[in-house]
Amino acid sequence: MNCRGDDMGVIVRTAARATIPLIGIFGAYIVAHGHLTPGGGFQGGATIAGAGILFLLAFGLEEMKKRYNKSLYSVLEGIGGLTFLGAAMLGIGVAFFYNTLWHNGPFFNGKPGTLLSAGFLPIMNLAVGLKVFIGLVSALTWIALYRRWRE
Amino acid sequence: MKRTLAYLSLLFILGVLLYVANPDYGLKFGPGGKEWLSLRYTDDYYIQHGVQEVGGTNIVTDIVFDYRGYDTLGEATVLFTAIAGAVALLRPWRRDER
Repeated sequence: MNCRGDDMGVIVRTAARATIPLIGIFGAYIVAHGHLTPGGGFQGGATIAGAGILFLLAFGLEEMKKRYNKSLYSVLEGIGGLTFLGAAMLGIGVAFFYNTLWHNGPFFNGKPGTLLSAGFLPIMNLAVGLKVFIGLVSALTWIALYRRWRE
Repeated sequence: MKRTLAYLSLLFILGVLLYVANPDYGLKFGPGGKEWLSLRYTDDYYIQHGVQEVGGTNIVTDIVFDYRGYDTLGEATVLFTAIAGAVALLRPWRRDER
């Protein structure tokens, strides 16, 4: 008895258990280095969401329901959006979306090319990555949860 | 017969694309060379001043999050609205419960 419930069997589950952390780490790298290397919040968030969707496919909806916390994910999506807006508001003294952290801020103003540089870009990348990850995983979970065929 | 026709049409499309994409005698999308700088000075401005003004060495992120920040804000709003709409449409309706 390999299949329990609606998952995809022991082979897919083992492969997913091995690859999900790697996909997550790669997505986190893309998000964290969004201002230095190709990629950014949207792309890295979509990559991490791919790991979440692989979890949903490989382990089934029942396992996903246990891990998916609706209120926590709603709060995290809100935090992502508000952090984006707040980072844009930082330089409101000059203009909306003015990069004040880079020009005269206390931190995130290292040499161009280092990780702690580029002002609000890393903050915005993290916020948008969180938002995109939560959004895509939530959308796929809701679609799987409320499907109306085969019943 | 149908399959052969499909492969032949694929080959034809490949040939057309190879001809069009050739830089020597293919289609030209806009001016090239020195004329490029006089018409597309915005690209040149981003490449020259992006690292100094915004700080990120990834120019695309500089443009998306700083020069075109409003666009990204709208994009995030569109994503949020799309997911809210999907959830609102996909949840069980009153009609489904009976």
